[in-house]
This record gives sequence, structure tokens and C-alpha cells, in this order.
Amino acid sequence: MAKRVMRRTAGEGLYYHPDFHGALSASLDYLERHYGVEGVREFLRRFARACYAPLVAGLQERGLVALEEHFREVYRFEGGEAQITRTEETLVVKVRACPAVQHMRRRGYPVAHLWGETLRTVGEALCEGTPYAVELCVYDPEGGGSIECFYRRRR
Amino acid sequence: MIPCTDFIPAYSELFKYLEERGAPQAVAAFWEYLADRFLQNLRELAATQGLRGCWEYWARTLTEEAADFTMELDEEAGEFRIVMHQCPSKALLLRCSYLEPYPDYCRHCDILYRRVLEPLGYEYEIDLSECDQARCILSVRKKGQAQFPPTRGAGES
Repeated sequence: MAKRVMRRTAGEGLYYHPDFHGALSASLDYLERHYGVEGVREFLRRFARACYAPLVAGLQERGLVALEEHFREVYRFEGGEAQITRTEETLVVKVRACPAVQHMRRRGYPVAHLWGETLRTVGEALCEGTPYAVELCVYDPEGGGSIECFYRRRR
Repeated sequence: MIPCTDFIPAYSELFKYLEERGAPQAVAAFWEYLADRFLQNLRELAATQGLRGCWEYWARTLTEEAADFTMELDEEAGEFRIVMHQCPSKALLLRCSYLEPYPDYCRHCDILYRRVLEPLGYEYEIDLSECDQARCILSVRKKGQAQFPPTRGAGES
């Protein structure tokens, strides 16, 4: 019978645990079942306002370039194929297939019925109180492909 | 998209939201649901491979989370233990000045894993007395086996 010891230190590896997408998906299903669509949206809004407070501040101060940098880093890290185009007043994020959805499909985790709200509601929460707005123009629930359009609101 | 690295803040915010909607019992009910729905892989590994399955499960998850830990498996003694020197989840919540962590955040590790392992015939314990410093000790043993000595394990700072 074996005796084994494993010692790891925090600096040894990259923090990348994509199964968390499956846990978030299960969480959204739970919220929908118990608190409805509005419960899912309210939770995601609160999360985004808390977790992305520095990003929202960046959007206020530096404009859409702050969001562009954020999304480039997210899709570089997660390995997604994203086409990101920015003009002075618009930012378009086109994703052929969402890396989170792809991972969940591969691992057999159910993809939440309201997974698209992680784009729609979070995007709206990022823009709240800023001169910008967002529209989720395209969303494919099967593969998670999407087109998000951020733009400056009309004055 | 929400990257997997932002799941921990989402998790903490979810616990706060559930408590606001339905008291602490609503948070505990969610943890039980998550154990049943999301921890099938741990359940299967522990059911088919015993304590070695626990080792397999946490070797992968904790390595992917870049945790700072010592993990010990003694199959002869029927014991498995994780000494978490720095939990990546709790450490992240503690160092983010703009986040207010759910006060009882670490208790999910008690409810989730206990719910999976105890029905399989294991005793599960978790010492959360230092969780405010992102440290804890988790132990699993076959029922009726002797306990690990009460140390914090090799490499403990």
C-alpha cells in the first residue's frame, strides 16, 4: 500500500481551472429554478459591478480601450478565437465559439439555459453609469459564439 | 465572457445574494445542490478508487488552481489529508480590496465534500480555524481508522 506526499507552492503553476465554468453554469441553473430569470440577472449584475469595479472605472476614464484590453486578455487566456475591432465610438467583440461553452461540452457539464446572460447582463452592468451601452447582437447557445457591440450612447 | 479566473468572486457574490434572498439556510441548500450536481467526478473517483480517488481528484484541481499545499495519502492507514498553506480562492478574496468576501465563504468546503464522501463510508473533517489567513486542513479517512497526528504537515510555514 503506497504512501504518497505531494507538495506544491503557489508560484509553480498557472491558475487555470476551466471546470469552474461548469460550476458557474450549475449555479445559474439553480438561480433560475429558485429565483427565475430576474434572479439570474440580478446576481450577474451584482457580481459584475463588484468584480469589475476597476474595469468600469477604466471605461469611465479611458473609454472603450479599457474594455478592448480586458477582452483581449480574457480570450488570450481562455484560448478563444475572438475578433475585436475598436473605433472611437464602438467596440465589436466577435467570438466564433465560447471557450467556456466548448470546455463544458467536452467535459459533459450541462450548459445553463441562461448562459447567454453572462454576456448580456454582464455587458450591461459594465456600461451602467458610463457613457456607453452594449447590445448582444448575436448569440449561439450551442457553441456560445457571439457578437457584442459596445457603443457610445447618443447625448 | 466571464473567465474561469473570475469564478471565485462570482461564487462569493452568489453566496451573499442567496443569503440576502433566503437566509443562511438558502446558501447551505445551494451547497448541497452543487455537491450533488457538480461533484460527480469526485464521487466516482472516491467510489471506484477509494482514497486514491481523492488524491487523483485534488491533485488535478489544486494544481490547476495553483494552490500552495501539501497533500498526503497513506493507504495502509486509510488516511488522506490536505494541508492548505494558502488557499488560492480565499487568498484572492482577501487581497482584492474592492471585494467584500462572503463571511462564511470557506464553509462551502465543509458541506460540499462531506456530502459526497460520508455516504461512501468516509469520515470527513476540515479545520477552518485559520481560514481568515487562507489556511485550512482537510482530512478523509475510512471509518474506524486511526487519525493523522495533529500537525500541519511537511512544509508548513
